[in-house]
Amino acid sequence: MPGYELVFIVQPEMEEESRDALVEKITATISNLDGQVHEVEPWGKRRLAYPIKKRREGFYFLMHTELPPSAVRSLERSLKLMEDVIRHLIVRKEETTTT
Amino acid sequence: MASDTEEGSTRAPSAGRPRERTQRPQRSRYSRRRTRKKCAFCDDESLPIDYKKANSLQNYLTDRGKILPRRATGTCARHQRRIAVAIKRARHLALLPFTADHMRSG
Repeated sequence: MPGYELVFIVQPEMEEESRDALVEKITATISNLDGQVHEVEPWGKRRLAYPIKKRREGFYFLMHTELPPSAVRSLERSLKLMEDVIRHLIVRKEETTTT
Repeated sequence: MASDTEEGSTRAPSAGRPRERTQRPQRSRYSRRRTRKKCAFCDDESLPIDYKKANSLQNYLTDRGKILPRRATGTCARHQRRIAVAIKRARHLALLPFTADHMRSG
């Protein structure tokens, strides 16, 4: 299974608990798709370079995951359906060079 | 139209003189150097190009948030492509601005 990096931005008004629940939910979604989450890196609250959905800040999370390639699209779809995730990016990991 | 011909007539006498005032303005945006700068990423293979490192990508943007051309940074074609991709990813994640408007307000 290839490794993927998933970065997503959570809207800033969220409480810590519901944020944790959301991370939990995404982790569960990934394991439902036969994937694994190896590591979650919270970057904390950051200022956005430009407003997204009228928000100027957001909580950034980086997940190192492994996924079957066919599951990427369904993960993307479920992320889009989560209203608290205002932006996300899934990128294939390269072993030697980081592109 | 009248102003056009006027301008033409003012330029005509100065053209006879040695060009001193008609000198081109200095290259302002990207100053060219004599010797070609070497690609920083070829020099140091370990140097990462990563969309998550917005601060280091900032060096490859103009102050308006545009991607600097190769002639300004000296990067080789391969690494320039990677930088461009990384910047576009970082923009998507609001780590870097798309335009200067974003910088002023956001």
